[in-house]
Amino acid sequence: MILAAWACLLAPLAAALAIALLGARITRRGAGYLATASVAGSFVAAAVAFAVMLGNDPEDRSQTSTPWSWLTAGELDFGLGILVDPLSVFMMLVVSGVGSLIVAYSIGYMDGDEEERRYFAYMALFVFSMLLLVQGGNLLLLLAGWGLVGLSSYLLIGFWHQRASAVAAAKKAFVMNAFGDATMALALFLLVQHTGTLDFDLAFARMEGLGSNHWLVNLVALGLLGGAVAKSAQLPLHTWLPDAMEGPTPVSALIHAATMVTAGVYLIVRTHPLFELAPTVQDLAAGLGAGTLLVAGLIALVQTDIKRVIAYSTMSQIGYMFLGAGLGAYANGMFHLMTHAFFKALLFMAAGIVIHALLGEQDLRKMGGLRRALPWTYVATLIGALALVGVPPFAGFFSKDSILAAALASGTYGKVLLAAGLIGTFLTGLYTFRMILLVFGGEQSAHVKEHLFAAHAPRSEHSHELEPNEPGDEPAATHAHAPGHAHGGEGPFSMLAPVAVLALLSVIGGWLQFAGFWTPVTDWLHPVAEPLVEATNWQEAMTSIVAVVLGLAGIGVAWWLYGARRAAVPALPRVRSFLEHKLYFDELYDWLFYRPAVLTSRLWAALIEGPLVGGSVTGVARGTRVLSTRTRSLQTGLVRSYALAIAGSLAVLAVVFVAVR
Amino acid sequence: MNQWLTTTLIFLPIGGALAIWLTPMQRLWAGVTALLVSVVEIGFWIVSLVRFDFGEAGSLQLEQQTSWLSDLHVSYHVGLYGFSLWLVGLTAVAMAAAIAYGFWAGRERPRAYFGLMLLLTGAVVGVFSAQDLLVFYVFWEAMLIPLYVLVGIWGGAGRAIATLKFVIYTMVGSLLMLASIIAIGISQGTFDLLEGGPSSSTLVFLGFAAAFAVKAPLFPLHGWLPEAYRESPPEVAAVLSGVVSKTAAYGFLRIAIGKFPEPVQDLRVPILVLAACGLVYGSLIAFRAPDMRGVIAYSSLAQMGLITLGLFATNLAGLNGAVLQMVNHGLLSVTLFLLAGVVENRAGSGEFARLGGMARGRPALATVLMTTGVIALAVPGSTAFAGEFLILVGVFATGWIWAVIGAGAILLAAMYMLRLISAVLHRDPGPAARAGGQDLRPAELAVLVPLVACLLALSAWPAAISDRSFGEGDFPALRDILR
Repeated sequence: MILAAWACLLAPLAAALAIALLGARITRRGAGYLATASVAGSFVAAAVAFAVMLGNDPEDRSQTSTPWSWLTAGELDFGLGILVDPLSVFMMLVVSGVGSLIVAYSIGYMDGDEEERRYFAYMALFVFSMLLLVQGGNLLLLLAGWGLVGLSSYLLIGFWHQRASAVAAAKKAFVMNAFGDATMALALFLLVQHTGTLDFDLAFARMEGLGSNHWLVNLVALGLLGGAVAKSAQLPLHTWLPDAMEGPTPVSALIHAATMVTAGVYLIVRTHPLFELAPTVQDLAAGLGAGTLLVAGLIALVQTDIKRVIAYSTMSQIGYMFLGAGLGAYANGMFHLMTHAFFKALLFMAAGIVIHALLGEQDLRKMGGLRRALPWTYVATLIGALALVGVPPFAGFFSKDSILAAALASGTYGKVLLAAGLIGTFLTGLYTFRMILLVFGGEQSAHVKEHLFAAHAPRSEHSHELEPNEPGDEPAATHAHAPGHAHGGEGPFSMLAPVAVLALLSVIGGWLQFAGFWTPVTDWLHPVAEPLVEATNWQEAMTSIVAVVLGLAGIGVAWWLYGARRAAVPALPRVRSFLEHKLYFDELYDWLFYRPAVLTSRLWAALIEGPLVGGSVTGVARGTRVLSTRTRSLQTGLVRSYALAIAGSLAVLAVVFVAVR
Repeated sequence: MNQWLTTTLIFLPIGGALAIWLTPMQRLWAGVTALLVSVVEIGFWIVSLVRFDFGEAGSLQLEQQTSWLSDLHVSYHVGLYGFSLWLVGLTAVAMAAAIAYGFWAGRERPRAYFGLMLLLTGAVVGVFSAQDLLVFYVFWEAMLIPLYVLVGIWGGAGRAIATLKFVIYTMVGSLLMLASIIAIGISQGTFDLLEGGPSSSTLVFLGFAAAFAVKAPLFPLHGWLPEAYRESPPEVAAVLSGVVSKTAAYGFLRIAIGKFPEPVQDLRVPILVLAACGLVYGSLIAFRAPDMRGVIAYSSLAQMGLITLGLFATNLAGLNGAVLQMVNHGLLSVTLFLLAGVVENRAGSGEFARLGGMARGRPALATVLMTTGVIALAVPGSTAFAGEFLILVGVFATGWIWAVIGAGAILLAAMYMLRLISAVLHRDPGPAARAGGQDLRPAELAVLVPLVACLLALSAWPAAISDRSFGEGDFPALRDILR
């Protein structure tokens, strides 16, 4: 089992290194196959580990392996080891399973890009980092994986680095995540200071002695929550995620929907003993999740970029997971993490096919009527959307509703959160079907007619699309150059097959657990994360009915406004502009952090650095006089002349050396 | 043989320098000889690594002592502790890279140039191994003089003023240190670091501290830094910030902390304040610096502040972290300055306004710069992260505020390093970059790749250093810490 886990972790790293080192000796296509094979190999290894673990006793399923000490100092010893337990195996399966599908999809999507090799090396590096995050045997290694996924995310968002907007988005994502890393690091300092270790169980056990709601525990939990919130794009550190859509679409599917952004949920579940000692912070996590799911759902209503709609929907869904994890319904949160990975990756990849078919167009307002041209994509999107809204029998119904049921079971605070979650369900139906109806419904727009499958046409017609810096033309810039990129229809097999698998999983994946009837996920995770709340069957049924009705209502309103067009979309210019500016978070951070930093930097450069450097010669001469007077009083004046003589003669000697050579 | 190893490490390069100067060698052979000597130096370092007993990393090993000026109780006394061994290794590797780069760049007057580089190598190794204060001082001065000449003769257009500032600043520091050394010698009757016990004189401590603070540099004594780092040839700037600055940090560790436990306790807070100021100040100035070397220079100032934070935490985590970070920063700084040289060679300028888009068609350059850059910004999982983590864990024990400042500075490091990476590699090619030549040449790769490989290897196993710097032994600071 341990061997399989190591193989799972190291296969993608080996692929990344091989692609980087082979350089041009491996074909572009070969790099894609190598990366896919390595991630698929990881999945097989994870499955083996899972199978072996199934055979073990539930209490006996946690194993560690530490080949060497990574960092030591005195009493401190942080091993480079992995932890294989039901939770990490669960995450390994999701990450490598969905990951291998998306990397395979990339082979078709990135076909013809000039730097395919770099892309696949980064993708493999990401999968390795994510696996390190979930398998890391102590908090320091978890933080290492945490930072490395941030790095790979930075590299992939900025993959098309000639575009200024992509570079800016990548930097923004990295810096906001680095803020989370910093608060997490501070939490670890506190933990080390108090417990002398970063091993999960040992550190948790030693913190328990402090008792509940101790300020120290609260601070540690708060620091960890800071990291979780930054990585999972929750309020108030969410602004990087929509911008991250500058990356290639499979990247958005893998990193910014299915895996990395859900790492915050994993962190809370992994460190739940600490959060349980700090109930206030745990409540805060749930509250932030509820706030995010509402805000993101509202903003998604006015987005015009197809990928940004899905990005906000991701934020909103992770909000549900935070809500669940914050209330102590860990397994429900993890289950939703899994189903969300299926249907959100599906939605992104279907969107990728649409973007591909329209030569890189991402603006919803220019789309329409694609139902007939892309029938399979339409079906796939529809499945993903129904799963997202939580319509039975699709996956989201099973996972989202049990989070809401847990909220119903959690007292007054839970009821408030439940209300937010239910409103969120309505919003989900509304924005999701607004998107679908805008893309697939109605008549084909002029833009669609002109551009659909135009890749077959001579390039000259689309030369205006080839400006490298125009936002929203990503595959146009890269794919129009592509030799042999002439697949008509909806894409090559390598793109359609993963979409089909994910569509299937979005339909049947939810049946894995049906709260009240069978609960294998909860049972599986029980040894690692015992839930704090358990909803009764009555509560499950109640929330399910209300949530489904509200979701359908959202769909209905969307149809009324965008499908049947029975009513005009309410104008509400103020609200609209407020939402379109994403509640002015970007502007706020700009004024609060970036501008002060630049200003301080300029001020210091002008007021301190200039005089210090420019005036240093005269200043030092004056200072020398003062200091030498003091030195003289210390050593009766002999010292200065003695030292000057030594230094001077050595200098003369050196000059002589240089002169005579 | 063991007792001669340290001496060999010191005098092999100095002998090489003399050979280059005194024999009628052709220009090309001067470079070849220097390169050979620097590689053999690495070989001897590896031999010392093998012979070193890391179980007792805290006691002096590979020691040699011969009476020199017996009337003054001065002896030639050299030897290595675990942490000195790593710094000697850093010196050997970094100097070999710098000499190789200078060889490739084809410096004018090669005999003088390579001789001085070798002399510098020997002097720095001497500083790291001297156990007698006068011997320390001799090597310290012997290290500064080649630097004055290297900056003054092979530097850029503004080299005269850069050298002048550098000379004045370091001379003042050296004189104060000399005064302190003499004061110690008179009061303790010996210049030997091991024989003479601890001293409690604050004034004498300050003399040492001043010399080290100027050399590191610590804020606000860095007035010489921007011009020296901008005007030197890239490999000299690399050595200056990567290796020579570490002699100052080493001085803080071996002499200031090792010999003055009481003044260190008394003056800890002011020193930590200066270090923290330098950390934040350097990071913020680096964030707006207009060129590559500016960013690297001020980030160097910031990193020296961080290392000082770790040292003056005076606990095992802080000290180990500081030693690890000295090696990290040494390797990083050398690599980054050489990369700046590589970019300047191609574009004729390191100014961000004229650069950009250099990743296109130059995969090797992009990969090396990106890898070095992300390690330099201490991405979690990298060896720089390991060093910073230990330093901040250590200084956290002194006061949480230092760790908060340190964590904030890590964020700033991400900001300035990403800015550098993007400004050089990404977006549209700037006017200078558009004309600029090819990808890295094999010779450049041969210099840069080993450095990056060292960084990656350390990232996989930072404990190699942090576990092998301070072990059991009689290093004075350690006794006081564990007391």
